[in-house]
Amino acid sequence: MSVRRSGLQKDVLNLYRRALRIPRTKPPPTRAKWDLMIRYTFRTKAASASPRAISVIEHLLRTGTRQVSMYEDPSVKDCWVSAEMHEWEKAQRNKRTEPH
Amino acid sequence: MSLLSRRLPRLARQFSSSAARCLATPVADKPVLNKEFKIYRWNPDEPATKPTLQSYTIDLNQTGPMILDALIKIKNEVDPTLTFRRSCREGICGSCAMNIDGQNTLACLCRIDRNEAKDTKIYPLPHMYVVKDLVPDLTLFYKQYKSIKPYLQNPNPPADGTEFLQSPEDRKKLDGMYECILCACCSTSCPSYWWNQDEYLGPATLMQAYRWIADSRDTHTAERKEVLQNEMSLYRCHTIFNCSRTCPKGLNPALAIARIKMELAAD
Repeated sequence: MSVRRSGLQKDVLNLYRRALRIPRTKPPPTRAKWDLMIRYTFRTKAASASPRAISVIEHLLRTGTRQVSMYEDPSVKDCWVSAEMHEWEKAQRNKRTEPH
Repeated sequence: MSLLSRRLPRLARQFSSSAARCLATPVADKPVLNKEFKIYRWNPDEPATKPTLQSYTIDLNQTGPMILDALIKIKNEVDPTLTFRRSCREGICGSCAMNIDGQNTLACLCRIDRNEAKDTKIYPLPHMYVVKDLVPDLTLFYKQYKSIKPYLQNPNPPADGTEFLQSPEDRKKLDGMYECILCACCSTSCPSYWWNQDEYLGPATLMQAYRWIADSRDTHTAERKEVLQNEMSLYRCHTIFNCSRTCPKGLNPALAIARIKMELAAD
């Protein structure tokens, strides 16, 4: 049943999973912001790279890993959410509720 | 006040008159000596475009003698997007380590080859991830340096609350090792380090490891050796000697590694 994934695909998904686990370690009032920031950053960067451009994906993976390990630091408590991120979230929600 | 204001115009005239035509031998304009520099460019904002060599031609008589002077001139006057690290411009900070004409060295200590016919190629340190243009990602390098605990470990400070004392002979053992500025030239020139960066510590880190093993004031020598006692951390060194050949400070990491090996073998 499970999909067979390449090593790179697994690496990307592991990074996303690791990033998605960050919000629960942060103070409760900021969690929604963390969640939105992480989803927005991952989704927009992932959409920017062609699935065939291996070197681009590897580069994004490296910079992403560095970014995630910085956010994981317990001394990092809050993050900033831009208007673009809110708009992106609204668009995502509309896409989901739209009848096909 | 009035005296000063009367003197000032005359002073100004004196300065302005010391032009070239008033000197005993007039200074001839230096001839133009155009030299081509080919510099590795890669921009992380466009990760899909392949890295390229960009060519810059500058007049060597209008710039300083070192590669770093040329790079700064290019950045100031030709292309402000060129990115490289630099700080002290005298070989003490280790920021401007790069691969110049196939040799890892510090741009601030490397003279420009004044041969017009030949271009000079400048690349970032080999086999390191590139952050941008000539800037390599040294995160792993610093992490490895941190892993050897590069600080004095001695739980028993002297009773009188002063510094640890050391005989001149013991101090001499540290010469040729403490001068390392961690520019990463040696580690990135080592083929063993290229292929096993994640596990092999590399010459720069190993030399610092030995610097603390050899220190007479440090009491954790046995623990320090124990950490290196495995197949990868130290024994990936196959005495290739690229490290000693390339070191811009003239140090000998291969000798330090050989000494660690000897001490580990003697245990």
